[in-house]
Amino acid sequence: MPDFQFSNIEKIILTLGTIGCLASFGYEIWRRFKIVLKGRESLPFDRFGERCWRVIREVLFHEKVMGGRFWPGLMHGFVFWGFLVFGLITIDHFATGFGVPLLSESLHHAYSYFGIPFAILVLIGIIALAYRRFMIRPAPLGKTSPTSGFVALFIVVLMLTYIYGEFNLSPIVWKMNWWLHTSVILAFLWLVPRSKHLHLVLAPVNIFFRPFEQPYHTAVNIDLEGSEDELDSMLVDLTRMTKNQVLDVFSCVECGRCIDVCPANRGGGILDPKNHFILDLQQPLLDQGNVDVLGTINVDAGWECTTCQACTEVCPVGNHVEKSDEIRRLEVLVEGKVPQEYQKLFMNLQESGNTEGHTNSPLADRLPSYTPDMEYVLWLGCFARYGLDPNFTKSIENFTKILEFAGVSYGVLENEHCSGDPANRLGDKLTYTMLREHNMEQLAHAKKVVTLCPHCALNLEKEYGKYAEVTYRVSHHTQVIEQLITEGRIKVKKGSEGKVTYHDPCNLSRMLDEVDAPRTAIQASVDDFFELEESGRNTLCCGAGGGLWWKKETKGRTHLVRAEQVVASGADTVVTGCNFCFGMMNQGLKPLTPEGQSEIQVKDVADIVAENMVEISPV
Amino acid sequence: MKIAVLVKQVPGADSPLPIQSNQNWVDEGAAAFIMNESDNYALEEALQIRESMGEGEVVAVSLGPDRIQKVIREALAKGADRAIHIQMDTEGVIDPLVTASHFDHALKEENFDLIFSGLQSDDLGMGQTGIILGEMLGMATASLAMATELGDGRIKVKRELEAGWFQWVSLTLPASVSIQSGLNSPRYPSLKGIMGAKRKELKVVTPNVVDATQSLEKVYLPKSEKQTVMIEGSADQIVEKLVETFRNEIKVL
Amino acid sequence: MMDILIVLEDNNGRIHRMGLESIVAAQKLANGMSLSMGALVMGANGDALAEEASEYNVGEVLKIKNEHLSSYSSDGYAETVKQVIEQENPTYVIFGHTYQVRDYAPKVSAKLMKPFLVDNVDVSPNEGNVVFTKQMFNAKLFSDVTPTGDGPYLISFQSAAFSSEKADVGSAAVRNCTVNLDVSMIRTESEEPFQEEAGGIDLTSADIIVSVGRGIGKKENIALAKELAQALGGELASSRPVVDAGWLPAAHQIGSSGQSVSPKMYLALGISGAIQHVVGMKGSKNIVAINKDPEAPIFEIADYGVVGDVLEITPKLTEGIQ
Repeated sequence: MPDFQFSNIEKIILTLGTIGCLASFGYEIWRRFKIVLKGRESLPFDRFGERCWRVIREVLFHEKVMGGRFWPGLMHGFVFWGFLVFGLITIDHFATGFGVPLLSESLHHAYSYFGIPFAILVLIGIIALAYRRFMIRPAPLGKTSPTSGFVALFIVVLMLTYIYGEFNLSPIVWKMNWWLHTSVILAFLWLVPRSKHLHLVLAPVNIFFRPFEQPYHTAVNIDLEGSEDELDSMLVDLTRMTKNQVLDVFSCVECGRCIDVCPANRGGGILDPKNHFILDLQQPLLDQGNVDVLGTINVDAGWECTTCQACTEVCPVGNHVEKSDEIRRLEVLVEGKVPQEYQKLFMNLQESGNTEGHTNSPLADRLPSYTPDMEYVLWLGCFARYGLDPNFTKSIENFTKILEFAGVSYGVLENEHCSGDPANRLGDKLTYTMLREHNMEQLAHAKKVVTLCPHCALNLEKEYGKYAEVTYRVSHHTQVIEQLITEGRIKVKKGSEGKVTYHDPCNLSRMLDEVDAPRTAIQASVDDFFELEESGRNTLCCGAGGGLWWKKETKGRTHLVRAEQVVASGADTVVTGCNFCFGMMNQGLKPLTPEGQSEIQVKDVADIVAENMVEISPV
Repeated sequence: MKIAVLVKQVPGADSPLPIQSNQNWVDEGAAAFIMNESDNYALEEALQIRESMGEGEVVAVSLGPDRIQKVIREALAKGADRAIHIQMDTEGVIDPLVTASHFDHALKEENFDLIFSGLQSDDLGMGQTGIILGEMLGMATASLAMATELGDGRIKVKRELEAGWFQWVSLTLPASVSIQSGLNSPRYPSLKGIMGAKRKELKVVTPNVVDATQSLEKVYLPKSEKQTVMIEGSADQIVEKLVETFRNEIKVL
Repeated sequence: MMDILIVLEDNNGRIHRMGLESIVAAQKLANGMSLSMGALVMGANGDALAEEASEYNVGEVLKIKNEHLSSYSSDGYAETVKQVIEQENPTYVIFGHTYQVRDYAPKVSAKLMKPFLVDNVDVSPNEGNVVFTKQMFNAKLFSDVTPTGDGPYLISFQSAAFSSEKADVGSAAVRNCTVNLDVSMIRTESEEPFQEEAGGIDLTSADIIVSVGRGIGKKENIALAKELAQALGGELASSRPVVDAGWLPAAHQIGSSGQSVSPKMYLALGISGAIQHVVGMKGSKNIVAINKDPEAPIFEIADYGVVGDVLEITPKLTEGIQ
């Protein structure tokens, strides 16, 4: 690099420009951060090491950016890694302008052997992304935005000016090139905080702070004996976002991966998680300068959500996208506007302690009652207790056969009420409180609980744990089965059931983080197992979550999208680990199976293991 | 605009109702009680009228033993301004003239502009109390309302007729209207509503004795337990038997 | 003067079917207890109704013509029936439980302070005590109800509790009667009745429903069921898989996520009887199921079952009805 001097005037202009743009940058960030600080709860620093490692994986290694959208992800990777490499160069660039370059000429030149290839990668990356954005225009990306155009242009200019600057240029040309590069950087500084490109700054921070728990919603503590002022302030709190949620809104990069994976959206519903749950909140936050904006979320979209957390799982900038809890609790607790079928559901829960309004359960009557000397409480859940799909009763019985064979003692609670999952996910936190308090009393002497319903499992330990201390541990039945197999307490041989696949329940794979136990169990029981697309933590929800099992609206095909995939996969048998998934598969597969193709068998993990257990005949 | 809404507490649809050994009534012990469905719609209609008028009072009125207070509180939580509980044991009381007389006695002095009631109750299904009460109070009456419109000192009611027909009827005020389910979307009680219900006025009154004009002799299960009659034969024979069944047994032809 | 007064309703110039059913009920009561009968007709079509009524064995026909009865009003009809009752002194006044009767008969009850026993499915005449049978708790239970005290007693019978075809024919003289009506007594003004556009399909008010399941095979075959529904004067409905497959719009769906119905007759064609469907129709008064699978759960709740080919039977059934 030639040893060019910058005149005092140039230095003054540079100083003013730099300070001005830095100030503007800083102001816009500060403005948003002030709003973040008004949010509820504190930003978490617990499990510090895990959080740092998560940032490294997701930011540096682009784990979620490349997962799911590999090639665009890689192109973005080029641009991102290029940015990292250019950090030092940019500082040196400005320092040069002030007459105090950081790198000596030889170092600068040596660095260019590194920098120029990266600049080329960045160019490839940004041009590929711009092509995708402006020519192919995939729908989830939304309307084409001029900002994106500018940013693409800026990056291209920056790379070209960098490369050009490394050639032997005449002083005038070099200067002009230098100033062009500088101006673009200053323009960038000005643009970044005012656009989705703020993710440059916020994504690592947001990923660091993201809650470990999925889903994560603030607990709603209701005390009907409290004062009216306390109630009023609690109700106001329901409209207020947490610090994390506000940070999410400003970090959103508008990529639309959340839309891609949303079962309601794919089923033809109106729900668009990117806009309804994140971007719609941006303007209200900025306009009001405050966080009490949850009431602006689109209500109809909110009722369509299955709460499956696919959106949260896939977000590359660490957003907890889903906000159905937030809007539903406002509609139920504050507005009293509840769809009629859910009102009936809530009344049943309040009056009879279960979703169906029944008073007795023949299944529960047949099973042993729990006494504290037994190892497990077998938690049935309303679905099994009241026969929401009569075929599932067999699955419960198969599981009890497995337990008995392994010599594991278990009993059911006489006074088991609904775990409250439907009330919890549908926003009726008052009914949830009633059910939760009742159940915790029933479980007071329990040490270990096992259940076939992941919704129950999730609520009994994790959700209840947000309100009170939970003294028992909860396992999903697939976890117990896996343990029994690996400990050799039951023996399973590989039977032939045709081509067998497994549909991961969203409550189990994502929210309870259990992907392996069911597979261990199934693969020990069958000889021909294959994976569905979108499996494991990326599973596509069956459509019954979030209380939607009880939804009467029949337009929209949220409940059919996954069934279609199963039919298309060529499976003979689909195994599930959740009673709702079981029921949805039973309902969805039949009408979608084309004529001539034989019906696909639906089984629970307990069925397939019991059927192939040695020395036992299943139900 | 003073609107009274007659609400009744009834056993929920899935409640077990074992018949007492003396066959006089059912054992209510295991039943889950809820607000009668059409009464819920009547209440919602009254609340919407009060809201659209910007003024007025909605009074929930119910007759029955202590357990009905739950349904009264529910009406208050949903937005009724105050309530009246006519306290009496209702076992064996089936005569709408009796219940209407009690309502008449409790409401006579208040001069309501409108009385709304559900079309019929899901337990007894007499479907008369609101109309009889209207007649006793000297009000115009209409039943099976699928929509209401207030204006010019009158109320217009869209009556449901058989086979998908409807008819608008305009009534002078005061009027008593019985409301059909489905005409609106009843609200759910909000938390503030539930809390506030505790502070609203709930007046308990004891009724006079009124002689019944009809009485319940006994209750029993339908005589025929479901025995599926299988119809067999060739397709033509089956069709012949089906047509005969439609005509003579089911009586739809 | 008569012991039993039958109030007949107008259906566009003919006696309403439920009026004819009331005649059957009255005849049962009359024969069982040796009572005399009379029938009341009124309104704009009074002449035609009187002529038709005179061909039945109803004792005598009372005809009321009054300018204030030219169109129905609850005040007009209630006051008329009340005055006729006071003039003729019947012990039993019998109605069909129509929407119109539900609208005005309670007012008669209130004017006379005499009981109205509604929606009965049977009557057991008995010298000491006439017992009326009524359903309760949405038809889960039956009850026996008796009037106490002196008459008159107003009684209504449920649609098809009796068969209109069993009305005994004969001849009855027509007598003109008058009532005093004042325009100030009539506090309502009615507009012309109208039908709604077929926007949503309200299956809940249908008396007869023909419902198809996956057993109908393919979309094209639904036409067979539709024709049967039309021949029966009923509505077409379906289970959820049919809607999910796109063969019918969701408005036809019956079940836990569709409409809940309890019609007089539910004809289930090729429906297996899965619980999600059954919860939406198990309250039907008469369930007729046709399915080729003898093990189909629908047969557990059906009143009448046919193990057979829906595609063969349905068109023949339509023909047989027409």
